[in-house]
Amino acid sequence: MTMETFDLAILGGGPGGYVAALHAAQLGARVVLIEKARVGGTCLNVGCIPTKALHASAEFYRDARVKSAALGVDIPNAVVNWAQMQKHKQDTVDQLVRGVEQLLSAKKVTLWRGEGRFLSPHRLQVVGASETRQVEAPRIIIATGAASAALPVPGANFSGVITSTEALSLERVPEKLVIVGAGVIGIEFASLYRALGAQVTVLEMLPRILVGTDEELARRLLQLLRRAGIDIQLNVQVLAIEESQPLTVRYSDAKGEHTAPGDYVLVATGRVPVTRGTGIDTLGIAMNRRAIAVNERMETNVEGVYAIGDVIGGWMLAHVASAEGKVAAENALGKAGAIDYRAVPNCVYSMPELASVGMTEADARAAQIPIKVGKFPFSANARALSFRETDGLVKIVAHAETDVILGMHILGPRATDLIAEGALAVQAGVNAREVGHLIHAHPTLPEAVMEAALDVTGEMIHYQRVRVGA
Amino acid sequence: MEFLETSVDKFVFRVARDYRYNDADVWAKREGARVRIGLTDFLQQKSGDVAFVNLKEIGTELGVNDELAALETIKVDLVIPAPLAGKIVAVNDALADHPELVNSDCYGAGWLVEIEPANIADYDALLDAETYLPQMQARAELEREK
Ligand SMILES: Cc1cc2nc3c(=O)[nH]c(=O)nc-3n(C[C@H](O)[C@H](O)[C@H](O)COP(=O)(O)OP(=O)(O)OC[C@H]3O[C@@H](n4cnc5c(N)ncnc54)[C@H](O)[C@@H]3O)c2cc1C
Repeated sequence: MTMETFDLAILGGGPGGYVAALHAAQLGARVVLIEKARVGGTCLNVGCIPTKALHASAEFYRDARVKSAALGVDIPNAVVNWAQMQKHKQDTVDQLVRGVEQLLSAKKVTLWRGEGRFLSPHRLQVVGASETRQVEAPRIIIATGAASAALPVPGANFSGVITSTEALSLERVPEKLVIVGAGVIGIEFASLYRALGAQVTVLEMLPRILVGTDEELARRLLQLLRRAGIDIQLNVQVLAIEESQPLTVRYSDAKGEHTAPGDYVLVATGRVPVTRGTGIDTLGIAMNRRAIAVNERMETNVEGVYAIGDVIGGWMLAHVASAEGKVAAENALGKAGAIDYRAVPNCVYSMPELASVGMTEADARAAQIPIKVGKFPFSANARALSFRETDGLVKIVAHAETDVILGMHILGPRATDLIAEGALAVQAGVNAREVGHLIHAHPTLPEAVMEAALDVTGEMIHYQRVRVGA
Repeated sequence: MEFLETSVDKFVFRVARDYRYNDADVWAKREGARVRIGLTDFLQQKSGDVAFVNLKEIGTELGVNDELAALETIKVDLVIPAPLAGKIVAVNDALADHPELVNSDCYGAGWLVEIEPANIADYDALLDAETYLPQMQARAELEREK
């Protein structure tokens, strides 16, 4: 059997693992990356990228139907070409996967295709299609990611009960879709398939959608999604799925029992770290429930073994996995690095989009930090008006005494792009006055960010808060 | 529902006869032990199309003139003060999906909240339709001159 030695071995080639590999190579290390499927991991293959490719198609279709006439373009019969949407999605994914492969080979990262398993803290066995090899490395990074959680109710194993992975490649746009869970993945698929014409029901156990995001914005998004025709039921418990044509989901709420019909039932109740079958359990690694426990240097309790990305739980975002990957690579190669989660942008590709960074009002209240809040609606932003996308607002949470921006929350057009300015502000400790007085190009969407910052300091120009009768 | 009417220029403003009013153009209407609250026709026309309604939650205790709702229109964020003190006991959920009801049916389906007044005598102290109408008309004429 082949046995090779490297400076660093990385188990899992998602955005955590492959970025760690590229960064380690930049730092001069001999690196092997072990991947059992395709590089890019969940994110490129069945996560971030395919969802956004389909989102682009769905949004275009929706715009063709509901916006085009108002903008003076007559598109009398816009039709969904699902096969082409699927091709667009797959082409996008394939191109990016090839790109990562090229980057890896350009940086001389060795890629071993196969399933890796720990034999000891410094040794892995890799079972490939044609051969089994072993690698020894003084430092190993675990980046095995996460998988969809199962739904523990009767009928959850019927065909037609699916995860996000299958939901990306359905044979056709379902007529009726039931989604269990109103977290990011549930809400994104609800927007996507609703825009494509499906009748969508979302069932959520909690009293709100998108837990962790700003309450006011989430409530507003809930209303907009309902206005778009998505049936969202909160405070409900899914009891069972019955095999009928279509499937029937039985659920209950305070008023009693109800049913929802679905050609498919998408289970989007969360993602759990992947550790089973990797031999990780034999290393004596400390766990944090099902996630691997690490410190801010991404070190586990076992010397020389690091963990990053979804497998350590927490944010479970691609860009966080990548940031952690860089930190782990640096520490593994003798440079000091620590992760800083103060300014993690968190994006929901709903229609309209929701994005946030830093503290919410509730976070600040819990931490007993005195705050001021500034808001500006897109209905008063010239660019949003010319796009005909005026739903939503920018909200800034700032320290009451210093005006330092602690958080930014955006619901509306291109929120996921706009949030970058918020991330910079939060990370750099910029105050609202600085953002408000920074010259922003006119007419642009970021002017809404500028105005919200001006609202913090009482200098908002293009919108008025009027007390009736005053 | 019966209305009094007045016009200023080409605008016609209606005032519901059995309702009570304050000088901020907010109406109140007694429903048993509760009082329902909304915007007058004059205020809704002056504010323009309502795009979003933010109501305070059920259970909120309000003093007179405390914010009970904020309405987002294309021009302004309109903060609506409570015409009398009390506790919010119901909110108009229909406005979530149909904020335009505030414009299209301001005295009916476009109501905002219901409160249990701290002191029901406060209700009787509000303006009746006949007293409110000329005051509103004066404000509408001022508005026109702007
Ligand atoms: C539908 C969906 C949409 C998403 N959208 C977004 C988004 O828009 N933005 C965002 O930031 N995040 C999004 N995410 C989350 C994002 O995909 C993850 O946070 C990210 O992929 C985590 O990266 P990772 O490297 O930790 O793990 P992964 O990407 O899961 O990669 C782990 C890799 O390890 C491999 N592996 C596992 N075990 C072994 C083994 N024993 N041997 C060899 N290889 C192994 C797997 O095959 C996989 O390729 C989405 C997720 C889903 C499911």
